[in-house]
Amino acid sequence: MEPAVDITELYAAHRLSLVRLAVLLVDDLASAEDVVQDAFATLARRPDAVRDPSKALAYLRVSVVNTARSALRRRRTARAYAPPHDLSPPTPEDTAVLAEEHREVIVALHLLAPRQREVLVLRCWSNLTEAEIAVTLGISQGTVKSTASRALVALEKAMPATAATSSGKEER
Amino acid sequence: MTTHDTIPDIEERLRAALSARADLVQPEDLAPLAPVVPLRPRWQSPWVLLATAAVVLLVLSVVVQGLGRDPRSDDVAPRPDERVELQLPADVGRDWEAHEYSTPARLDLDGDGTNESVDFLGEPSKKLDGRVRMQTTLSGSGEDAYGVTDIGTTIVSALEPVDADADGDEELVLYFDDYANGGYPLVFDLRDGLLVQAVVDQPDLLVRGDVPVPGTDGPYYELVRQHEYWVADGTLWSSRSVSAYASGNMTIVKPRVTVLDAWTWRLTKDGLLEPVVAGCLRYDVVDDSRTPCEGDAADDLPPVAAVAAESFGVGASATVDGGLPFTARLQAFADPSLVVELVGGRTVELGLEVADPRVLTTQPVSVYDDGPAVVVRSASDPGYVRVVYGDGERLRTLEPVGEVALRDDESHRTWLTDDGTPVTAVAGGPDSWRLWFWRMVSRSEMAALPGAVVCFDDVDDPGTVRHC
Repeated sequence: MEPAVDITELYAAHRLSLVRLAVLLVDDLASAEDVVQDAFATLARRPDAVRDPSKALAYLRVSVVNTARSALRRRRTARAYAPPHDLSPPTPEDTAVLAEEHREVIVALHLLAPRQREVLVLRCWSNLTEAEIAVTLGISQGTVKSTASRALVALEKAMPATAATSSGKEER
Repeated sequence: MTTHDTIPDIEERLRAALSARADLVQPEDLAPLAPVVPLRPRWQSPWVLLATAAVVLLVLSVVVQGLGRDPRSDDVAPRPDERVELQLPADVGRDWEAHEYSTPARLDLDGDGTNESVDFLGEPSKKLDGRVRMQTTLSGSGEDAYGVTDIGTTIVSALEPVDADADGDEELVLYFDDYANGGYPLVFDLRDGLLVQAVVDQPDLLVRGDVPVPGTDGPYYELVRQHEYWVADGTLWSSRSVSAYASGNMTIVKPRVTVLDAWTWRLTKDGLLEPVVAGCLRYDVVDDSRTPCEGDAADDLPPVAAVAAESFGVGASATVDGGLPFTARLQAFADPSLVVELVGGRTVELGLEVADPRVLTTQPVSVYDDGPAVVVRSASDPGYVRVVYGDGERLRTLEPVGEVALRDDESHRTWLTDDGTPVTAVAGGPDSWRLWFWRMVSRSEMAALPGAVVCFDDVDDPGTVRHC
């Protein structure tokens, strides 16, 4: 039987963009690379999962989001016990050249609930439509809309909170 | 400035920040991993070779362990990069109060044979969506134990407890419910006086709800797999339907009995809740019963065998049953027309541009059940099929839209089942047919949603439908 999609081609074409997506969802490049590698490995194990090459990227995107969520769940630590600076992107090389105004937003982004972060990243970086985000996350379009709306409000609130945290104030 | 005023600014800032953050990852930053090579032929795939090598190593390691010494816990513990880090609860909420509708859980947390009563204290919040402090006094030691969680509501009742680690004491099971999208359970184990939430391995397998199959979202339906979890006899179970079903417009096309892949959930010493394959179950949605599969398990055939064939022609009238009964008649002066009597004796009429029309006396309630609706066919044109429904003070023919044509010919067999479902079987592979079920998708349109692939001993007789 012919393979459904050419994974080598997909790998060459989309690895970088998927790693970039993953790095926005998890905290660091190494984890992001693992996440993407797992996504391709999953597809390689199930070559018939996607028969339409045009849908392969969507499949991989779903896989990356799910794997990233699993990775975060696995290593999450107590919010109450985590020192505030742990919420920052962890690797110095990742943040060293990120402008301060961007760094503040990224730190705040990682204070959001995982689903809120996913919706915002898929909307504002991947530029997916609400329907595409709904498919990617396995939720309804209505939930995408409401989650995005709440997430932006939460993000705005989190930015002062970030500043407060970095200045030693306690937050929930 | 209000929050709403600033949202566009925030979104723009976020877009810029995400772009900047993503651009930090350049091609040269990626590890030079070997690309995934073509899968053809499968046995040459590096993944297959790696998997084979892994299996060989695993077998060798098991053999060596078996020869050498008893297994130690760190032999099976997750590797450092898979370390389970449990979320320890903060000691907050001592002064919170239990909501009057919350129900304390009774379970044997410490394994001394006596149940503890766990109270659920809710963090004050206007929407009752604050965190929850779980607290109890352990019957064995008299010491207090607590945990803190966020399940989206401060009105709490627990599921039946489980003993997922088979250590003789019980774990508390709460659940997060999202009415739109299902939900998931949370398992709390007593560890050093703390109720600690287990970290779920493969959380996608421990959810409730309809999970879309990626890439299947269309204008009228998407394919979903149905997930469920439940507690039975102290064990947490979950399942996922083997088949995917068309879901749209608040309906789902699935038979009464479906086949599920099932898992039980085991709690490891590390606090990881991991799935254990439990095989195949048959789920009867009417009886809400699950039984082990026997033989080659498959979903039930959809109920399409019984055909609603009774009809009347021009000059006749009949009571159309199946929903709220109403009377319809066919009359002809020049062209034939359908006349439906509404409540109160008023009538509405629709001209039919077909010779020798026949009106079926069973209502197509699966398409429309909020008023009169009929299926119109023609004795002189076997391919003619229309669905007409009462739209206020007039009759309207629903226009078929979507992937399937509403016709009855060699490749599209269409009939109305005795329970009021218009079905079209579309010829597929050798001797096989895909069943499509019609649903109303707008005030003027209906579309067919895909169902099972079936075979017929005699394609002219839906009663001969069978699994292929």
